[in-house]
Amino acid sequence: MAASEPSRYLARSLPRAIVPAARSQGLCWRRHASDQAAAKPSALSDLESDGLLKGTTTPVEAAKSFDPVARARARKTQLPRSRYQFRSPKYDRGPLHPHRPPPPSDPSSRLFVPGPFSLSRVDQTHESTIASDILTLCYVHNPPGFKPPPKAPRLRTWDDSSPYHKNRSLRGPRGGDVLRLLRKPITFNNIPKLERITIHSYVKNAAKENSGWLHVAGMALQAISNVKVTTYRSKTSVAKWYISPGRDAVAAKAELHGEDMEHFFGKLLDIVMPRLKDWPGVKGTSGDSSGNITFGLEPEQVALFPEIEVNYDMYPPQMIPGCHITLHTTAKTDKDARLLLSAMGVPFYGKLVD
Amino acid sequence: MSSGSNGARRVASILRPSIAEQRVCKSCQETLVRRNYASAATPISPKPSSSASTTFPVVGPTYTINAGVLLSRPPQITRDLTDFEKAYYFYQKRLNERLALPFTKYFYFKRGTPLDEDWKRKVRERQTAARDIGKYNAYGQEAWNDELLVGAKESEPEYIAEALISDAESTANNTSQDTSKQESIPRPHPRVTEADKKGDTQSLDRALQRTLYLLVQSKEGYWKFPSSPVAADETIRLAAERTLEQSAGVNMNTFMVGYHPVSHYVYNARKPKTDETTGVTLAGEKTFFIKGRIMAGQADLSANTQNLQNFKWLAKEEMAKYLLPPYYAAIKNALADR
Repeated sequence: MAASEPSRYLARSLPRAIVPAARSQGLCWRRHASDQAAAKPSALSDLESDGLLKGTTTPVEAAKSFDPVARARARKTQLPRSRYQFRSPKYDRGPLHPHRPPPPSDPSSRLFVPGPFSLSRVDQTHESTIASDILTLCYVHNPPGFKPPPKAPRLRTWDDSSPYHKNRSLRGPRGGDVLRLLRKPITFNNIPKLERITIHSYVKNAAKENSGWLHVAGMALQAISNVKVTTYRSKTSVAKWYISPGRDAVAAKAELHGEDMEHFFGKLLDIVMPRLKDWPGVKGTSGDSSGNITFGLEPEQVALFPEIEVNYDMYPPQMIPGCHITLHTTAKTDKDARLLLSAMGVPFYGKLVD
Repeated sequence: MSSGSNGARRVASILRPSIAEQRVCKSCQETLVRRNYASAATPISPKPSSSASTTFPVVGPTYTINAGVLLSRPPQITRDLTDFEKAYYFYQKRLNERLALPFTKYFYFKRGTPLDEDWKRKVRERQTAARDIGKYNAYGQEAWNDELLVGAKESEPEYIAEALISDAESTANNTSQDTSKQESIPRPHPRVTEADKKGDTQSLDRALQRTLYLLVQSKEGYWKFPSSPVAADETIRLAAERTLEQSAGVNMNTFMVGYHPVSHYVYNARKPKTDETTGVTLAGEKTFFIKGRIMAGQADLSANTQNLQNFKWLAKEEMAKYLLPPYYAAIKNALADR
């Protein structure tokens, strides 16, 4: 069965003309339209093999005479609005409605967000160098015939010593109620990578003095991250700083994904970190034991980002915030996350807690 | 990551009579013993209970075991974009210019300063705040005309880099007090190096966008990765490190990635050869390749003890020309595409 598979797929993918016919052609005197079609060159030969990757072959001379602006100006009468202006309906009223908004990837959609604008270096390094190294490092060899030992269930059942145990929900693991993430063996399809970065800044003076502190902190975070920040009110009471829960907006946070994240991480690694004075690195004990690593930057360290440096004078010097940066990875344990981040160039120091 | 360096485990594997047979390889024995470790409380039966020793007997001819090194230099710069990617990214930039809120000039430039004057002049010239999307007015009557025509240079990375640098230069020149001195900002280094132009395949400065691998040529004239037989009581990784040192010298800053081989190549000799010292009939060679990375230094064959005469740093496609087809076919899937 398995041996016949390739030949079957091969025969299906080949053009009709090449595959030998089941019946001999010589014995049949009748003419069929399908025979004529088979004699013609395959329709697949018209397709480009390179597709989009190859440039257009339009001659430049032919393209030079094409001037869309002049053509539009020369038009005597204005085109009807429907020809050049499409306004997406505001609400999606379901698949049976005659007018539905286009998908968010369409530039005419109200939800369209442009981007990406570049192929980031961090992403390319991960893809070309780091991913394969992690795969090699995390390989565990199991001999043929190896069966992993059976594991106890993560949630324990109740022994039916009491009639009240009936229909009770399962118990958590011993030694605490927290269910840790399951770490599956790392293979080609779950190599750890950077997922998102959170930059969080707690501005204690925002409640005691004025909101200017929070505005400046938000502007600074926005400048270094290229992402709109959100502000948060305090949940706890800190009497010394005159902060009471639910009243004072004291924190700003930026969540970075995709291209923004990669560019921010690249700047952090290559521009800011080498210039930090007396900075030993990220503490080895940092991490939430599910693959997310946090570290902090002092205000003078935040000021080293090129976006703030370029117009440093516009920020009130006392008000530039410090921040906590959390690197969220798809790794399931801190050990794997640290392996990924140190391969990318984040230094760790001290005792490593996995 | 599992190097099997636990001494107690090794002792256990020797003492345990069940699995220590010739049929299962050394590292597999250790793993199997490790599995049994948990059930150590149960009495050990004299008969082997492992399924591995019964279902997969290793029988057949003896081979010389070699350790090889796939020593690579990772890509140093980003890859060239395809035409489609250039056009796509450029178009997204112009779309962003149309959809984003206007640039907040007052936050970056104080009114009346030379910087402000310079900024105003530039914006009048290029009609947009962005410096790298060419002349384009995103808010005007003709904002719809956001696509480039055939043959336009605006989407080329060289054009974009030049636009950004010359913009910074002119800002520095227009706002400085000293008009006699012209500021010049260094251009990025060329993506094609001298070694590329000369075709110097021994240089590590060539093909900066690609992963390069170290290939050595033996005195007999065939090309291969550095490899040599594994000595007794030596792991594959130790043997790989020794091989690299003996073949390409110590003047390289390298590290090995992990303890496991990433690829292997089996060479069957036409006629089995008999080893004079041990009297074992050898059917050929098996080479296991460990992955290595070079950070600095250069290969030097002058003091090699492995009968080598030449070396090259080659990318994946280039080495197909030098290696024997079965050898290349065996290792090509372990090599980086870029």
